[in-house]
Amino acid sequence: MVRPGLGALAAAALLAVAFAAPLRALELGDQAPAFSAPGLAGGTVSLASYRGKVVYLDFWASWCGPCAKSLPALDQLRREFAPGDFQIVAVNLDRNPAVAARFLKQRPVGYPSAIDPKGSLPGAFGVEAMPTSFLIDRDGVVRYVHRGFRDSDVDPLRKQIQKLVAAR
Amino acid sequence: MTRHVLAVLLLASLACAACAPVRPWERDALARPDMAWDPDPLGSGLGRHIQFSKEGSIDAGPGGGGGCGCN
Repeated sequence: MVRPGLGALAAAALLAVAFAAPLRALELGDQAPAFSAPGLAGGTVSLASYRGKVVYLDFWASWCGPCAKSLPALDQLRREFAPGDFQIVAVNLDRNPAVAARFLKQRPVGYPSAIDPKGSLPGAFGVEAMPTSFLIDRDGVVRYVHRGFRDSDVDPLRKQIQKLVAAR
Repeated sequence: MTRHVLAVLLLASLACAACAPVRPWERDALARPDMAWDPDPLGSGLGRHIQFSKEGSIDAGPGGGGGCGCN
């Protein structure tokens, strides 16, 4: 004798296991999901408002060592290009945005950070490492995915940006 | 009998559902230095050296010799 409730519960639990599988990562050539999220410094950060420019979308957190290293390097890279051509948009994944705000006070950068304390955006983009960045072309298509950060990554990245900026 | 099997299956699958992987962006507390296996590698290396020198024997730690403390 089986109680129907028990079977349904078992099925629900199995379903929960099935859907706990990792999300599909965004691939090159995919359209970057448009998002709008509150900014770390207030206001709203919207990816769609950068359409027409090359965008470097950077997922970071204050507890992530390579992220901390990448921030000044990225800010430097940003200043090498015209604001109308290239912009950096960051998404901070600290569970407590106040910690990230304190972190940025000590190491200020000139580009905006959205906050996502619940971590819903990295799932949509398929972030597999910290930091992960997506270089998005003027049409909103992902052209380059970068995981981790080393000083030696800056030169190849600059070349990629130059290529995308030149493609009008 | 069937009911018992189903109950065990249910518990097992519930337990599986609890084992959610830690996503890369959820590692904040795990990334803290005091969460490392060995929060002080230099200190524990020094401790091992003193231990095998004084005990005149080699434990499972790295390093050769014993007794004199001169290596």
